[in-house]
Amino acid sequence: MNIFEWSFLSGVLTATAPVLLAALGGLLCQVAGVFNIALEGQLLWGAFTAVVVSDATGSAWAGVAGAIIATVLFSGLLSGASVRLKADPIVVAVGLNLLALGLTAFLMRQIFGSGGTYSSPDLAGLPTLAELGLDIPVLGPQSPLVPLALLLVVAMAWWLTRTRSGLRLRGAGQHLEAAEAVGLPVAAYRHGVTLAAGALCGLAGAQLSLGNVTLFSEGMSAGRGWIAVVAVMLSSVLPYRLLLACLLFGVAEAFGFRLQGAGLPQQAADAAPYVITLVALVLAAVWRRRSHEHA
Amino acid sequence: MTAPALARRVVASAPVVAVVGALALTTLVMLVVGVDPTLAYPALVRGAIFDGNLEYTIAAFVPTLGMALAFALPLRAGEFNLGGDGQLAIGGVTAAALALLVPLPPVVAVVLPLVAGALAGGLVAAIAAPFSTRLRIPAIVSTLLISAPAVSLASYLVRFPLAEPNTGIAQTPTLPDASHLPFMGGSGYVTIGLPLIVVLTGLWLHIDGRTVTGYEIRATGQNREFARYGGVKVDRVAALALAGGGAFAGLAGALIVLGPPYRFVDGALTAPGYTFTAVAAVLLASARPLAIPVAVALLTVLQVGGLGMEREAGVPSQLTQIVQGLIIVIVAVLATVRARRGVRG
Amino acid sequence: MTDLAAELIGVSKRFGPVLANDGIDLAVARGEVHAVVGENGAGKSTLMSILYGLHRPDAGEIRRDGQRITLRSPADAIRHGLGMVHQRFRLFPDLTVAENIVIGAEPVRRGHLDRAAAHRAVAALSEKYGLRADPSALVRGLPVGVRQRVEILRALYRDAEILILDEPTAVLTPGETDRLFEVLRTVAATGVSILLVTHKLSEVMAVGDRVTVLRQGRVTGRFTTRETNANELVNAMIGRSLTPPAPKRAQPPQENPVLEVRDLTIHDADGVARLSEVSLSVHPGEIVGLAGVAGSGQRELIDSVTGLRGAVPGVFLAGTPVLSGRDPRVAYVPEDRHGRATAPGMSVAENILMGAQRELGSRWSLPRAAVKKRAKDLVERFSISAASVDIPISALSGGNAQKAVLARELTRPSHVVVAEEPTQGVDVGVRERVHALLLAARDEGAAILLQSSELSELRELADRILVLYEGRVVAEFQGDAHETDIGRAMTGATE
Repeated sequence: MNIFEWSFLSGVLTATAPVLLAALGGLLCQVAGVFNIALEGQLLWGAFTAVVVSDATGSAWAGVAGAIIATVLFSGLLSGASVRLKADPIVVAVGLNLLALGLTAFLMRQIFGSGGTYSSPDLAGLPTLAELGLDIPVLGPQSPLVPLALLLVVAMAWWLTRTRSGLRLRGAGQHLEAAEAVGLPVAAYRHGVTLAAGALCGLAGAQLSLGNVTLFSEGMSAGRGWIAVVAVMLSSVLPYRLLLACLLFGVAEAFGFRLQGAGLPQQAADAAPYVITLVALVLAAVWRRRSHEHA
Repeated sequence: MTAPALARRVVASAPVVAVVGALALTTLVMLVVGVDPTLAYPALVRGAIFDGNLEYTIAAFVPTLGMALAFALPLRAGEFNLGGDGQLAIGGVTAAALALLVPLPPVVAVVLPLVAGALAGGLVAAIAAPFSTRLRIPAIVSTLLISAPAVSLASYLVRFPLAEPNTGIAQTPTLPDASHLPFMGGSGYVTIGLPLIVVLTGLWLHIDGRTVTGYEIRATGQNREFARYGGVKVDRVAALALAGGGAFAGLAGALIVLGPPYRFVDGALTAPGYTFTAVAAVLLASARPLAIPVAVALLTVLQVGGLGMEREAGVPSQLTQIVQGLIIVIVAVLATVRARRGVRG
Repeated sequence: MTDLAAELIGVSKRFGPVLANDGIDLAVARGEVHAVVGENGAGKSTLMSILYGLHRPDAGEIRRDGQRITLRSPADAIRHGLGMVHQRFRLFPDLTVAENIVIGAEPVRRGHLDRAAAHRAVAALSEKYGLRADPSALVRGLPVGVRQRVEILRALYRDAEILILDEPTAVLTPGETDRLFEVLRTVAATGVSILLVTHKLSEVMAVGDRVTVLRQGRVTGRFTTRETNANELVNAMIGRSLTPPAPKRAQPPQENPVLEVRDLTIHDADGVARLSEVSLSVHPGEIVGLAGVAGSGQRELIDSVTGLRGAVPGVFLAGTPVLSGRDPRVAYVPEDRHGRATAPGMSVAENILMGAQRELGSRWSLPRAAVKKRAKDLVERFSISAASVDIPISALSGGNAQKAVLARELTRPSHVVVAEEPTQGVDVGVRERVHALLLAARDEGAAILLQSSELSELRELADRILVLYEGRVVAEFQGDAHETDIGRAMTGATE
């Protein structure tokens, strides 16, 4: 097996994209001082609503738009409860993750008539770049949302450091009283980033259910939202480092997939991304401590 | 307090408001998708309590209560244990392996797998402790991340080394008779797991409220710096609380496996969603340990009744997950709204 | 036409049962330094918060250049030309000096943040007012004095015409304080009005033009600095003259020291020495005071003595090394009441229990009745006013919570008492009670290490005063030494 094959790199990008999009939302929240662990539920909700809208309209792009709108609305529950009503964001997020799991499974049965996995010829998947006339290695088999995710990393890095609103957002997340003292509308920022994270999770979900595959299955987010949370923790709120963390996960998933092809049990492939993410977390934390002690 | 005043307080208490609110919102969901609540709710109650289903509900109460303690105990020390599924599965597979592979005399064949299951679950949870205390990675993240590969590991063991040969079904063979949990008074579902978990719950309540250990766990959860200043070894206490929680989860897994159908069926431990039903129940009890068994009973009725509702009225049982999610959100909101009102008043 | 920059007329504000401001009138003239003085809890901070839009008054009005204005938020206040330097700095640690100054009013060029323009503006302001600060430095690494300059520059950058400073000298050395006062004079000379909130009378006399004195939420005096003196101000502040210093021990105690620190050196995570070769001893029956500007090593020294820093070599209690974790032989009254000294969500009884739980109970039992009885006894003995020992300690007033902490710590079977800012944020009555308790403990033979940022407190209580500067003990004084000598030592000036 040659891990430098184009197809492997392509597989890495495919696995990375949904996590990266969700993690960008988490990063935005982190910058503004919001600990958002509802990414998992939002990702799942986004994947589901994308499939519902695409199935109903026959248009994948309508599915993407529907997922964005529906997930922004869903994240409104988080911003309403935790920012407006000041409820414990962790507890609210735990509830919302559960709610998303229940709602998608329930509505799936109501709308499509059965549980498990839904796919249909009516369901339009996102086109690949190759189909759109851009037949280049690695990116060719990807949906347009994949390069979009990469562009968003660059855009966010630029925005946070080079613009007025980016500076204010960073300030609002660093020191609440300081932000209030200079008149920054911190609550508005927190609502804003929570909703923006919803939009990004909508995109992430659409990529998962209409890009990576063209189907919806119960609980298909499968922990990717939690991996995104960890990626944010690993990133020190720097977008390029976030990309690296997400790529690490993508490599793990693509590698696990290969292992499975090579005859290893599916459970090993399932576990690989988590184990690698955990190891990365430990190494990063240990390294951070080391560098502190020797600085 | 007069009786009407007491009644007012009960009606306006956060858990009651949360349950009523969540059910109202769920009814709304039903109406939106075209389910008739007047058919669904009676079916739910019948599915949980009548038509001989009560026994089954009581049987489901046992692991749910175990999982509630698995979440509640670490929470008292300020640690979120969301990795119940992994601890449950590892506890179950450990108990199954021990019962299958080691010939044990009667009684020991029940006790030893239960103890081993609890130890294994505790061990899985304890892995998260150094993440939290040394590396400052919140337990809510690390327990969940550990849970997924733990479930995979259990699944692998059941499918391959421990699998029932020549059936192709992902399950272990039936455990030897000596390892079957005895039934309670003629029931076909309820085993001695029920009195066991009730006694253990009582023990935990005693430790929590009336021992030095419980006091130090609570102080650690309320303000870690205060506890450290007071001479409490907070890292050790947090690890102990996580391990204790995991032990309850492992025990719950072992109880499921040693009860009917007396084998580890892949997915059977995690599919019913004991972990998050329990999380919802503990949060519903909102820091009142005595209320936990009551909340667990209520949500178990909902959970089991949901299956009945699906059978009878054709309403997907996942509706109960919606109720649980809503309960958690509403409880969280009420907690702060009340706290603020309290400050003002 | 008036020369008043701002007026507060009949301002009242109530927090629960406490009337923090009660019909306060305050007029600030253009270009004056106007001091607002009063004891802790007199209502100064509330009044300034109202003027800066952080609180809304229940009654009364605010006028700016003669016009009535409404302030709903600091943003409103900034628009009306108000600027505030808070006691706890409100700076963004991971932004640069220039970013901290311009944030909220940034120069922009073609959609981008114009960093060059920001740096130029900051440099120009620094020049104009003599406030030096490197625009590109991260705030995280800056000394306290420079951070304060950044706060002042931030207000001036926003064209503040009224600058409020809340206890600005609390964290400064006397030398830095002098420099600050020069800056304030320069700023005032350009027509900016300065409201200086303080409880230090020497500062009022040094830099103020006029003074408004508050006591218990009311104005109790208005003076022109040149026509008054410290005694008059004191009378207005506390309603009577200061009590003379408490009686000190006639004889220094002769016994062997019970706490001994020998050549203690501590490095932080970055390898910087926080304590260098510190040696000190405390004997039974004496109070040793610890003076120094904030951040001179007090935290590290106290955490070493209590064992909270782990087992450090060089600290001995009754001749044996200090135990790691929390040495049970040390009674410790921490400065941070909510962070360390109490668990706000636990009951009064459970807060008072901490440290004694293993004496009252065991691994398998902790009788509630005994816990409550002990708490009730202590509540009575230390005259803590609490409705019940079952209510959360956060429901107590600051003074009563502090008395509960003292009750817990002073009744520990301990060798040494470490008290850290024991009267911070409590009213005069509680302060006297706390002082009496510490003196009584000393007279019963306790060895007390007292850290305080108030020199007057140290002079009232301590038998000896050690001065920390940059992690070293640079001077030792008798308890009745002159404040200016101690103050000079706090700056590191050695004879």
